[in-house]
Amino acid sequence: MNSIKTIKTRTKSQKLLCTAAFLILLTGTISAAFAKDGTAAANSQVSIRATHLLGFEKAKDNSTGTLTIAGDALEFQKIGKPVSQVRIESIQDISVGDQSKQVGGLPMTLGKAAVPFGGGRAVSLFAHKKYDTVTLEYQDAQGGVHGAIFQLNKGQGETLRDDLLAKGARVTNGDNTKQSAAEVSSENK
Amino acid sequence: MKTSKPTLLLALAAAALVTLSVMKPVILRAETSSTQWSVQVTKVDSGAVNLEPSFQVAIYESLLDELNKTKHFKQVLRDGDREANGIADLLILKTTVERYSAGSETKRAVTTVAGATKLTVRSQLCTRGGKIVLERTINGNVRFMGSNLRAPHNLAHNVAKAIKQSSLPEPASAVAQRDAEVVVVEVR
Repeated sequence: MNSIKTIKTRTKSQKLLCTAAFLILLTGTISAAFAKDGTAAANSQVSIRATHLLGFEKAKDNSTGTLTIAGDALEFQKIGKPVSQVRIESIQDISVGDQSKQVGGLPMTLGKAAVPFGGGRAVSLFAHKKYDTVTLEYQDAQGGVHGAIFQLNKGQGETLRDDLLAKGARVTNGDNTKQSAAEVSSENK
Repeated sequence: MKTSKPTLLLALAAAALVTLSVMKPVILRAETSSTQWSVQVTKVDSGAVNLEPSFQVAIYESLLDELNKTKHFKQVLRDGDREANGIADLLILKTTVERYSAGSETKRAVTTVAGATKLTVRSQLCTRGGKIVLERTINGNVRFMGSNLRAPHNLAHNVAKAIKQSSLPEPASAVAQRDAEVVVVEVR
């Protein structure tokens, strides 16, 4: 009888041990997974498709590529071209604006001109798209001020600015509101 | 006495060569005197005008580009560049926006006559001491085709053109060098 009892208590204690071990293992796995997610978030790369209008270090004007926040640098890369980058800490000012542009470029313009009876003008009424523009001011190693303008899809400008501010970029004028091109129509005489 | 055509052409070519050889030193002298200046472009002052930051940056960057293209200056430096401290013959280009009309690309495309983007700035070239060497009011517009950001580019092109066409005074170091040459000649 005694031996049966000891076997039963052993099995109970073994079950408890197993459960405890399982729980410890589970907790460990979950915490490890969360930790991994945390480091991934810290090193995450924010990539946005953008058109570089002018000014960014070594990037060609009016080129479309990917704008990436990689670690402490803001990078722009056109496909098949080397990466151009600036340190986010060197960014002195960021401002977001918007502008409306005609789509289609030169071929579209020529096409519209070819439409008889001024039909191309009617097409122009609908052939425009709104974009966000992000203007950056940053300093090089010599202290020289650079300016760069990027054109992004509508709504992405704010996201990029917030990400850059979170990574250590500065805003000197303190005006975080979006400035619309349509609003700025002052003509001081 | 008749002169044949080839002889006449030869004579003309020789005259042209002589004229060029006489003119060349004069042109070179003018170029060297102007290239001795360096210029530092300061950030654009929007003054009382509510100018978009993208326009300010576009004017600034376009000015640097266009001034470099003219090859009128020894060096074109950016605002805040520490290298400027060591340059003796330095001019500072200040740009103040006087008038701005935003315009609209769509309006231009639809109406042709309306929606022009207009920019007017006052450009001043000053010495380090604050003496104004050159002052001009310059426009940059987009009237018919192109995006609004074409206006700063046109403006910068016009500023660079105005500076190139103007006669800048000789820098102090060039004057000193010339005086030294005169002394050497006198000693001989």
